[in-house]
Amino acid sequence: MLARVANNLFWMGRYIERSEHIARYLNVNYFSSLDAPNEISQSRQFVLRSMLFMVGEPENDSKKKLNEEEILYKIGLDPEFSYSILNNVKSTRENANSARDLISTELYEAINKFYHFVLNYPAESFMKQGLFDFTVNITEMTSILRAKLRGTLLHNEVYAIIMMGVNIERATQVIRIINSKYNDALNAQGSYGDKFSNSYEWSTLLKCAESYDMMKRFYKKTPTSISTLEFLILNPNCPRSIMNSLNQVYNHVKVLDSSKKYNKNSTAFLIGKVRAEYEFKYIEEIEEDIQSFIENILESLVKISNKMEKEFFDY
Amino acid sequence: MVNTENAIFSSYKRDPNLNDEIFDKNGNVIEIYKKLLKLYGDHSINDYVNLNTKAKSSFFNQGITFQVYSEKSTQEKIFPFDLFPRIIAPEDWEIIESGSLQRSKALNLFLWDLYHEKKIIKQGIVPMELISSSINYLHQMMDIDPPGGIYNHISGTDIIKHTDGKYYVLEDNIRCPSGVSYVICNRTALKRALFGVFNHYQAHTVTNYAENLLDLLESVKPKGVDVPNCVVITPGMYNSAFYEHSYLAKTMGVELVEGRDLFVENDFVYMKTIQGPQKVDVIYRRIDDFFIDPLEFKPDSAIGVPGLFAAYKKGNVTLANAPGTGVADDKAVYTYMPQIIKYYLDEEPILNNVHTYHCSRPDELKYVLEHIPELVIKPVDEAGGYGISIGNRLSKSEIEQVKKQVGQNPRKYVAQPIMSLSVHPTYIDDTESFEQRHVDLRTYTILGKDKEFVLKGGLTRVALQKGNLIVNSSQGGGSKDTWVLKK
Repeated sequence: MLARVANNLFWMGRYIERSEHIARYLNVNYFSSLDAPNEISQSRQFVLRSMLFMVGEPENDSKKKLNEEEILYKIGLDPEFSYSILNNVKSTRENANSARDLISTELYEAINKFYHFVLNYPAESFMKQGLFDFTVNITEMTSILRAKLRGTLLHNEVYAIIMMGVNIERATQVIRIINSKYNDALNAQGSYGDKFSNSYEWSTLLKCAESYDMMKRFYKKTPTSISTLEFLILNPNCPRSIMNSLNQVYNHVKVLDSSKKYNKNSTAFLIGKVRAEYEFKYIEEIEEDIQSFIENILESLVKISNKMEKEFFDY
Repeated sequence: MVNTENAIFSSYKRDPNLNDEIFDKNGNVIEIYKKLLKLYGDHSINDYVNLNTKAKSSFFNQGITFQVYSEKSTQEKIFPFDLFPRIIAPEDWEIIESGSLQRSKALNLFLWDLYHEKKIIKQGIVPMELISSSINYLHQMMDIDPPGGIYNHISGTDIIKHTDGKYYVLEDNIRCPSGVSYVICNRTALKRALFGVFNHYQAHTVTNYAENLLDLLESVKPKGVDVPNCVVITPGMYNSAFYEHSYLAKTMGVELVEGRDLFVENDFVYMKTIQGPQKVDVIYRRIDDFFIDPLEFKPDSAIGVPGLFAAYKKGNVTLANAPGTGVADDKAVYTYMPQIIKYYLDEEPILNNVHTYHCSRPDELKYVLEHIPELVIKPVDEAGGYGISIGNRLSKSEIEQVKKQVGQNPRKYVAQPIMSLSVHPTYIDDTESFEQRHVDLRTYTILGKDKEFVLKGGLTRVALQKGNLIVNSSQGGGSKDTWVLKK
């Protein structure tokens, strides 16, 4: 496979996954805030700030009154904002276009439908009443894309490259969501009857990662800070957890170069090393300093991505 | 009017002066279309409107589109597709196929001669001036023996049916003829929309194009290569024909590369893969001559590969088509085709040539300037239907304008009598009915080492504007599925 095309496929995977997480974040936060049990969590300003924080554009002026329609437009359909869902979907298709001869007709057709759906979504109705419809469609269409990836591509190096993109992005987005909701949980503290560890925000966090039902099934208890973080970071059986994503990345990189996994300069080695670190971590260690833990893992993910670029895409 | 009780053809306006391919002079349905018309008659025009909408969105979702560039933005458009197929009878097809093949072979021999001994010029059959003044003649190609002796591996021949019922060639395309992917997509789309009609006709398949192309490309591999590594090279995804490039790579199962994916070392060509460099042996290039290698041709080409031509010269890589083929599909060379065929093959041309006046000859220039309203004036070196003036559609001042242009640069122009392309019933969106539209046919011929292939089908292009004779997609043309019937 051409190095340039491999790079494009890697990013296609990342953009698909990224659009999904942003869309779900908007949906879950907006709709769970409507009947949240405390005043802060229910406040529209609080939710809008959380959304901006998640897409890497935090509003630092705590007094500024944010305009709901503006923020929704910016994150959903603004062609000028590079992190908007619209731009993610455009980039997905652009990367798919350049590798069109390598991916299946079925996958391409699904990506193309996805693109036309977003491109033609009327901005006015999205801002006023289309948030639910739009975001649900995005998450459903990305599910279709994942199914087409798994079901219509040969599980060879092309598939491995795309799935590495998907899983590195998933780990990145889940950790960003954790960061954002952790921040929300801190901010929502002190409003009546709600302490940090039992904050309503933990349930919202799980829903943002589509893991609420799985978590309830596993712990059979109301989510707390510690059980939520443990589940989303360390549980290898939760398909959205950081651990699971790293395991996936490790499996796929081996398809690319099984010979080099013991070479200390290879991507495979680095991924294995990062993975091993979290495999033998326990949650109390993490809880001591969540902030630096989040920073560390984001840094590791960037390192993996850079290493991949050097080993496979550099030309 | 026409003699049929068909509901969807009840309002069909037949102009008796035009050669309608499905109705004869008296308005009766031609034999091979009878069954088809009956089958289409089962549908109401509303069914048809629905099918048409569905076919369109199917093209759109599959991303079978081309880009149209305007000042403000780039738009994605569907290549308009008509649901009423064109049928070619076996006896007609025999003429078309053997005629296309004859021309391609003659052109190949002509190119070999031009880049070697130039016998045809020395013997005075084709004037030297015609070649030496052509910008597409590449002196760099002199004395190079392309692998397998093939220059024009892929040829597209544009053919029309005139009012006399005979087939005429309008143009040979032997640089990078495009459109073959639409032939296959049109078939797929028609099968999806109206699968029932295929049960009643025995049409040849068109989906075997890619396997034959790969087979023939592999036959012209460089010396010493066992299993050749073939690739398709594209200018990039913003090229208007990118869909076709990716389609061909995909269906042949080879890599689609851009110039920046390749590099040349010690006169061998390599592509940059995730496993490191991999040697490339055969390149089906969809980049024009002047852009393939900045070291040899246009130095500012960003889409080419530095050193590619040197590797080609050494015989380490095959380029299909070979550089320098453009000299032979020039519209001025076209006029010598009957002599060229006779000279190299000692055969009479199977397909007719349209009589052409060379403005470079003083007596013919005089005739052209005096008869512009009866002629089509074409620049010799433009593709895509640009720069063509059709005499009977020009106003007085436009005629003067054309006269002036031709007079200033006679070598640049040729003129032909206005040919009347046959017409075919075509569904028109605006009126929601079938109307007569002019059509032509592009056939695809592939030459390999001691083998050849002509795709049994072709691209029927339709001029969608009423009365228009120019069918190129860049000028708003559409297309039809084309069935070649088995004997």
